[in-house]
Amino acid sequence: MDELIYTLKQQIIEALNLEDMKPEDIDENATLFGEGLGLDSIDALELIVMMEKNYGIKLQDPAKGKEIFKSVAVMADFIAKNRTK
Amino acid sequence: MTNPILITGAGIVSAIGNNKAETLDALLNNRSGVGELVYLKTEHKEFPVGEVKMSDEEMRKLMNISDKAITTRTALMGMIALDEALKEAKITPDMIPNIGFISGTTVGGMDMSEQFYLDYVNNENHKEYIAVHDCGSCSEMTAEHFGKFAFITTLSTACSSAANAIILGANMIRCGEADIVVVGGSECITKFHLNGFNSLMILDTQWCRPFDATRAGLNLGEGAAYLVLESEESAKKRGVKAQAILSGYGNACDAFHQTASSPDGEGAYRAMQEALQLADIQPDNIDYINAHGTGTPNNDLSESQAVKRLFGENVPPMSSTKPFTGHTTSASGSIEAVFCILALQNDFLPVNLNWSQPMDDGIMPVHQPVKKELRHILCNAFGFGGNDSSLLISNPRFDELNDRPMVPEPVEGPLYVLSAKQISVQQPLCEDWMSQPVEYQALFNHSIDPSFKDYISPIEARRMGKILKRAIATSKEAIKASGLDSIDAIITGTGYGCIENTEFFLEALSKDGEQMLSPTYFMQSTHNTISSLVAIQTKNHGYNVTYAHKGISFDSALQDAVLQMRLGKINSALVGGHDELTPTFYNILKKGGMMGKDDEMCGEAAVSVVVGTKGDDYLCKLVNFKILHKPTMERLKSFAKDFQADYILTGISGNHQSDEAYLAEAKELFNDAKLLKYKHIFGESFTSSGLGFYVAAQCLKAGKIPTHLFVNQSEITDKTPSKILIFNHSDGNNYSLTLLEA
Repeated sequence: MDELIYTLKQQIIEALNLEDMKPEDIDENATLFGEGLGLDSIDALELIVMMEKNYGIKLQDPAKGKEIFKSVAVMADFIAKNRTK
Repeated sequence: MTNPILITGAGIVSAIGNNKAETLDALLNNRSGVGELVYLKTEHKEFPVGEVKMSDEEMRKLMNISDKAITTRTALMGMIALDEALKEAKITPDMIPNIGFISGTTVGGMDMSEQFYLDYVNNENHKEYIAVHDCGSCSEMTAEHFGKFAFITTLSTACSSAANAIILGANMIRCGEADIVVVGGSECITKFHLNGFNSLMILDTQWCRPFDATRAGLNLGEGAAYLVLESEESAKKRGVKAQAILSGYGNACDAFHQTASSPDGEGAYRAMQEALQLADIQPDNIDYINAHGTGTPNNDLSESQAVKRLFGENVPPMSSTKPFTGHTTSASGSIEAVFCILALQNDFLPVNLNWSQPMDDGIMPVHQPVKKELRHILCNAFGFGGNDSSLLISNPRFDELNDRPMVPEPVEGPLYVLSAKQISVQQPLCEDWMSQPVEYQALFNHSIDPSFKDYISPIEARRMGKILKRAIATSKEAIKASGLDSIDAIITGTGYGCIENTEFFLEALSKDGEQMLSPTYFMQSTHNTISSLVAIQTKNHGYNVTYAHKGISFDSALQDAVLQMRLGKINSALVGGHDELTPTFYNILKKGGMMGKDDEMCGEAAVSVVVGTKGDDYLCKLVNFKILHKPTMERLKSFAKDFQADYILTGISGNHQSDEAYLAEAKELFNDAKLLKYKHIFGESFTSSGLGFYVAAQCLKAGKIPTHLFVNQSEITDKTPSKILIFNHSDGNNYSLTLLEA
């Protein structure tokens, strides 16, 4: 799981183009949206594209993203359970 | 007193008909044109769309255009609608040279670019279509089928483009710049924006259901519509009747998010309120609202809130006509304005099809046919970036219209250039180029960028390409230097917008196919993303539009600011000219003959200037301004007398084959003036006329002209300049004259 979390952090940084940010800067338990990193709905869509590309997970309802993208840890858990690649 | 704006002709093509009669029949009989995809070649067959029921070939045949002629679907639909509008208004070919044409589009020639993109990059095939990629070319192709219009420009504010074209046309007539202006917009469906909207996950796989509890997104549509706007005096003289009256209009920026509307609908509220104020009409006199009503959860809730804030408990009958046509994006403002005219003329309320369940906190739309005599209609069109506009269309049958509000006469007199900032191939945000210009050997050079961290936080910068960062940095510096606490309007010109993101999206579409495309690249590819992002960054809810018309994009933005200041609508404007270039697009544009002809140097430009109606500390005064389309020498001469200056700043590049002719023309028009140049150090770009404006303003402020700007060594003088004319004609088609005074 730790490895997946680290890889995921790298992929998030790349997908969202978070300049000057390293995986260590992201707390996997902190909220990604709103208060935490301050991401918004477009970032959520980018994460949906990223999940489909890297893990073969298709998310049809953008509203579901809200729960899945709560934190990196929650996201990693969801990916581990649902990945097709 | 200024007379109102009459609508003396209209033309339309959309999924529900190829002319006004067919459109009316569909509206009265609740017949939707939304259905399965037929004409667009895409994998996304799951989305219902509102296509115009003709292939490109059938449109060519209808408009008598040969198979070999270079054109685009957007231009073809534009011609069909324009043809009907001109005929209805009884406009004959001999009148065209005195009429303006203003069109709205965002897609432009993307239908061709998305088919041929890999050819553009890799080989010589289809290179003749490169020149019609941009929005301005589409407007010119549409217009030139009918003759040489006096003036042409293009609004590109995403889904409110056509509504903003209507507003500009009305302002031009009110300022006495023209008696007749044809306005509207055209947009075809492309794979580019079908996939783009899909990446934003706002397309419904079912028929769209605006204002319904189960609404789940929009259906894309396409089409074109144009209105002939005319002064009362001109219509009387010609003996033509008004179909409707444009009695008010408003434009405001939501300044909230690039693709989402604010929860309280601030921009929409302000736009509608402004339209009512301009017409001096109380909310309870509005008989119908044609909503923007796209069917996305976000838009319909936000628009409902805005309407409730303005009308309280007494919301007038309201419907979205998007279930008839799909969302016709840039053309929706004029297409739905034509629906409103038809409703006024035929006494009915268009039905909000597909509606069955009220949404929480939403309005209850008209869902059954209603026959009713209508006096005043509000027609809404909102765009990405919160570019929100509202039109107030009135029925000429009612006597009360003779008792119209007094509109103040336009104010003549100088305006003040309060600040001017640039990021270009010269040292950024300073005037080092005056004494120490950077010299270049390469033909294409990137801008020299400052550190953007002082202007944008890393988290804000995550989605911004270079052009956006440059626009924000120059805007913030220009606002600071203007000494103003707040700016009334943000008006931007860009030839190609965020071309880097467009390139990324086109590349992904061409190579990876129609799956998993980045919403960021799509969102940033709309031209108005620059202006709306500046508004978001500076929290500015004022007037906000974007022009995308080739070499006069900046000039069009400046003209808009000048008109509105003369009308007393605004007292200050941030006017921008922004274009970026990538190595790939440089090569494509060079191949298409659009850039880098001969050995001209090309660059990038970000220019922000603040112009105001008053100022104690200013760079120079703006005393006269004019844009002309394909003018004859005689016509140029008739204007030249009002633009005499001691210096003429030309757009020669130093080694372009046409430089000689350019200079000869300048000498013939302004014989005693000394000739200057600036592109030899700044390079060519689609908004380089903005750099010309910046250079002239800084020279007037400094009270001297650097010797390296003189075209002729023999004319070098250290005399303090008093007047500089910026004489711009980018492609020989569009001219602009801007007279600045110390």
